[in-house]
Amino acid sequence: MKVILPLAIVFICGFYMLITFFIPAKFAQDSSQLLQLWYQGVAAFFVFIGIFNLIKINVDRIQRRLKDWEYSIILLSFLGVMLVAGFVGGRDSRVFLYLFENFQVPLGATMFSLLAFFVASASFRAFRAKTPEATLLLIAAVIVMLGRIPIGYLIWDKFPDLIEWIMRIPNTAAKRGILFGIDLGLLSMALRVLLGIERSYMGGGVEK
Amino acid sequence: MNIFERLSQLDRRIIFLLVAIAVIVPMIVPLNLPVDITKPVKNVYDKIESLPEGSVVLVSTDYDPGSEAELYPATEAFIEHCFRRNLKIYMMGLWPAGSELGNIALNKIAKYYNKKYGEDFINVGYRPGGAVMLLSLGRNFSDVIKVDYQGIPVDSLPLGRRVKSARDLSMVMTFSAGDPGIIHWIIYFHARYGVPVCGATTAIMAPQQYPYLSSGQLVGLLGGLKGAAEYETLVERRGRGLRGMDSQSIVHLLLVGFIGLGNVILLYQRRKK
Amino acid sequence: MMNTIGIWIGALLTLAIYSFLYKDNPFYKLAENIFVGVSAGYWAVVLWFDYAWPNLFEPLFKKGQWFNIFPIFIGILMFAPLIPRISWMVRIPLTFTMGVAMAVSITQIVQGDIFPQLQATFLPLTGVSFFDAFSNLLIICGVIFTLIYFYFSKEHKGVLGISARIGIWFMMVSFGASFGYTIMARVSLFIGRIYFLLHNWLGVI
Repeated sequence: MKVILPLAIVFICGFYMLITFFIPAKFAQDSSQLLQLWYQGVAAFFVFIGIFNLIKINVDRIQRRLKDWEYSIILLSFLGVMLVAGFVGGRDSRVFLYLFENFQVPLGATMFSLLAFFVASASFRAFRAKTPEATLLLIAAVIVMLGRIPIGYLIWDKFPDLIEWIMRIPNTAAKRGILFGIDLGLLSMALRVLLGIERSYMGGGVEK
Repeated sequence: MNIFERLSQLDRRIIFLLVAIAVIVPMIVPLNLPVDITKPVKNVYDKIESLPEGSVVLVSTDYDPGSEAELYPATEAFIEHCFRRNLKIYMMGLWPAGSELGNIALNKIAKYYNKKYGEDFINVGYRPGGAVMLLSLGRNFSDVIKVDYQGIPVDSLPLGRRVKSARDLSMVMTFSAGDPGIIHWIIYFHARYGVPVCGATTAIMAPQQYPYLSSGQLVGLLGGLKGAAEYETLVERRGRGLRGMDSQSIVHLLLVGFIGLGNVILLYQRRKK
Repeated sequence: MMNTIGIWIGALLTLAIYSFLYKDNPFYKLAENIFVGVSAGYWAVVLWFDYAWPNLFEPLFKKGQWFNIFPIFIGILMFAPLIPRISWMVRIPLTFTMGVAMAVSITQIVQGDIFPQLQATFLPLTGVSFFDAFSNLLIICGVIFTLIYFYFSKEHKGVLGISARIGIWFMMVSFGASFGYTIMARVSLFIGRIYFLLHNWLGVI
């Protein structure tokens, strides 16, 4: 029951969806649409369970006075403030949007911009032409870096055309080859999941 | 210890400082470098120019604050172009924060062009469910979208009533920073319903879109801040994209210098061995 | 006034994050935790108002759409691990979503990716200019050689070895271009923050 029922669900839902793809009849399309809408409903709960777990982990950290537990209080406080602002004031209330614009936006934007410094450091320390392949990679990178900026156009007005050719021809060829590989891998993985051969996503104890 | 040995042990914070200077100085003292226009960006512009007045463009803001610096300037420039051409904008977001960032741009530009909410533009907020949602959306919008971001039923808005399925859209423009995003609009929405798709992506994602550009599944592409700067040039709007291009140029030169220096040190170390 | 305070908050939080470049410190950790808290709260609120209430709960409670009970029930089973006796039931929402998503991906990968991309690879070698024919030939060869590199069922020797090696060259050019674009992206993000500090906060540009 604990294994058969979930495997039956994945098999029936999956193959029913596959079959309806080839049947244009209204009943088939409507039922397929209904399953897709249910999927969206269930997917919404993935977010709720994620937030629930975040709260649980941080409450646990505070209770057990684990390292940096004080920051968990900050995290939960701001989570609480945001929830109150949203659920009491409304999704488009001034307080809720104020918190979004002045806390979430600058913090998110700055967090990812830190990578500019690390990529600069890596350019100096790690980007070395040690093999012919690495040299090719390095040359392509430098050409793109120079050709994609306004100064590149001033250095040589055909630079942008060269970059566009690199992107359209060798880059497209390699990316398309990789894409086919990924697609074939995804297809085989999808079939393995539907047939119940691949079960790791279900958690432990379902191998046999 | 000679200069190469000293350089090889350079404190990373000096590199950080040089990068910061290379960004800040050109912002304070602009060089106003001319921006060249690439074909994928021109294609987006031409597509918008080719649409008859009153056509509906679905704008999906599939990003968050982490990529706001790259995609928000493009969002503003694109919305401005649409409103200038009197096109209707149906906005949504596959990422939760994207719908809000898009809303900020939408309201700002709409105010300038005296556009009316519900008639000329609407924002239906965040839509979860990724790729699967796109399939059901294309078949029947009202199955997926009940209310807009303010909780107003979409059926009570003229533009909401007008868009019933993918057939009512003239094109899709996605501002995409990852998954779900541009790939799903192409291989789920375009492939199933045939709606032309254009995109603006972070620069990291841009090279992956070229197979779709060459197959015609993607009409045009704005890649990163440079793409935004190109679009701003086309629509004659000096926004954050163009303002950032001087700094972008100087930092790229600096990093090319770093790469060159790193390799000179490598040569020196090899010769010494 | 509130706008000015908001800009100051944004600026100080920006500087708190950048303080990490010197070394890890309490200001950075504080900002990091505020970010996680605010983002999670935002997501929950937006998901509820934009989707969960109008699409799931309101139709069930106010319009009598009883069949909405199914996705809600399946979704609630995500919390089953909290009760050890029924923890296995978490597999039901997992398998349901996997079944639907995998079936949809099978059809769409074939229809939306493999067929159109294959079609776009069959490019003309005659009837076009010499340069276009050369470029088309490069695409065709590049795709084939890249795929050969990922063919591991036979040892990469002889013709197969040479083909795989050419495939690597194509990939190196592609990875190099991606690296160039990655640098561009990261620098753009930093430019965005400096613009905020100099324009919105300090007002010097």
